Amino acid sequence: MSPAEAGGAQAYRPGCVGDDGALVDVAEEIAADWAALGVRGSFLALHLDTGARLGFGIDEPVPLASVAKVPLALVVLDRIAAGELDAGHPVTLDPGRSSVGPTGFAAFRHPVTAAVGDLLLMMLSVSDNAAADALFDLVPAAEVDARLCAWGCDGIRMRHRMNHMYECAAGAAGDDFSLALELAVRDERAGRPTIETLEPAHANTGSARALVALLRRVWCDEIAVPEATAELRRLMGLQLFTHRLACELRTDTLRWSGKTGTFLHLRHEIGVVEAESGDRVAMAALTRADRRAGLAPDIELALGAAARDAFEALRR
Amino acid sequence: MDLLAHLEAYVATADEASFSRAADRLGIAQPLLSRRVRTLEGHFGGPLFDRSRRQITTTELGVLLLPYARDVLDRAQRLRQAARSARHSRVRAVGVPADCAPAALARALRAATEHGITLGMRELPPLERESGLVDGSLGYALVRTAPERAAFRVPLGLASAPGAADPEAPRAVHLEELRPRRRRAGAPPAPAPPPILVLAEDQVPYFDDRFARAVARAGLPEGRIRPAGPPSDAFAGTLAGRALLLCTEPYARRYGAAWAPLGDPALHRGYDVSAPPGPRGTPDVPDWLARLLAASVGASGATRERARSGPAGDPSARLAARG
Repeated sequence: MSPAEAGGAQAYRPGCVGDDGALVDVAEEIAADWAALGVRGSFLALHLDTGARLGFGIDEPVPLASVAKVPLALVVLDRIAAGELDAGHPVTLDPGRSSVGPTGFAAFRHPVTAAVGDLLLMMLSVSDNAAADALFDLVPAAEVDARLCAWGCDGIRMRHRMNHMYECAAGAAGDDFSLALELAVRDERAGRPTIETLEPAHANTGSARALVALLRRVWCDEIAVPEATAELRRLMGLQLFTHRLACELRTDTLRWSGKTGTFLHLRHEIGVVEAESGDRVAMAALTRADRRAGLAPDIELALGAAARDAFEALRR
Repeated sequence: MDLLAHLEAYVATADEASFSRAADRLGIAQPLLSRRVRTLEGHFGGPLFDRSRRQITTTELGVLLLPYARDVLDRAQRLRQAARSARHSRVRAVGVPADCAPAALARALRAATEHGITLGMRELPPLERESGLVDGSLGYALVRTAPERAAFRVPLGLASAPGAADPEAPRAVHLEELRPRRRRAGAPPAPAPPPILVLAEDQVPYFDDRFARAVARAGLPEGRIRPAGPPSDAFAGTLAGRALLLCTEPYARRYGAAWAPLGDPALHRGYDVSAPPGPRGTPDVPDWLARLLAASVGASGATRERARSGPAGDPSARLAARG
């Protein structure tokens, strides 16, 4: 530890964007707030109707963790809408072979059979890894990637199933969470990941710009087909986690639809806030913490504060 | 042949005119004394004593050689004395932490004089104390080790501005209590959370890492930890309520600060009193010195390690991607 390192967080100045000086100021304030907590990353908020936006670091590709479940869901819903997949098709998940995860079917100890449409619900409402990988079995990552490419979703790359993240972390660190976290944080400082799924070249990745563009097209029915985008909007509105971007946007007059993503030191969320007044703002926050802690509520709160500041700066 | 021992036997026998009284004076058995005298006679090529009568007498050769023998023994005695006084006058440097209690160090210096050695105390940062033992510039040093392996433990705690009621035995402070509180509506705005200052004495690799990790796990940004710089500056900030200083209780009390121990004993200081490897390969530290040096850093009796178990959970699921 040296004074230079202690003050190093303040020296981090990602490129801020904003449509006018006031919006750039808000972006800079958010960046400074995050830096003070030892958080690096990208943030972008876009008003879906005025096109006004603010953010920083928006073109940096970041491993998506569970945020990748949104593009997967869109491709699966598009297949269902095209009649190539049946939403009622039953899939049996065996706990002995299904993916590792703390929630949903991934945490089940006995076999369960669920329909494809409900796997989507589990995947988006409680971030169920087993449900997500059951869907990846039906639509492989390469096909999801090709579909996104065909839609012109530059900046989002899909390369692997959800369980690959666990396999890579466990492969590098055994079943030791602290060690894996230590590796992730150390590699972040060194700039060279040992855990493959933390390397943008090998992970499911996306930039804030690309993810917000995807949300805008989903909310404006400018991608896939309206049946698919409507169902994706409905499912994202059912997410149970409200501790990140949503935490300062929780009133009866606002509706939040989002998807979080968490892996080791990564804490992400993308989503859209819709106000009764008609304002709709899409956001993406992709963060990497310089902290060896599994839980960091002050970082979650900083994400929530950023979402509220951005929404209030952008709404008409 | 140990010439000195044999000459002692000869001189004592000549003085006492009796083998038995000479053996008594030297505190050895008579047969050994007699054997030494005979060996010496063989060495010099003639008898030193006439044993034919009841009372032994010194021969002519014995009388002739006696002053030379006494001279050799006197010189040997002076050589031993010179060696002893040289040993006593050599000052042995002791590497100690900067925050030792001066009165306790003075006790160690006095005790050393009583034990016939002269010590000099040198305040040094922890890594220099270790290197001083290696390069021979230090005779002894208090060396930092992890508390669970150390011979002596010193509780570390946080010094803060003295409050209105400063309890005699403060409750332990847990790092997660240092997270800023969420404010209730209408509460005054929270001041910026104070940094946690770490003295040079605690900037040792194993502790830096352990403390930073504990701080992160307690939900604090690692940026809250800062190097303390000069202790007087650190205490000024601490007493003004702008910082918390990681230090020992005696040190905090000396500057009039309030103090509470850290709840996690793995974050306390551990010390061994160490010396360069002696002739037998192992460091040789007298017990009295180790005890007094430990007291000077404020070591308490060894604290019992509590069995610690973190919150249980599925270890695999923590490594997976989550919502």
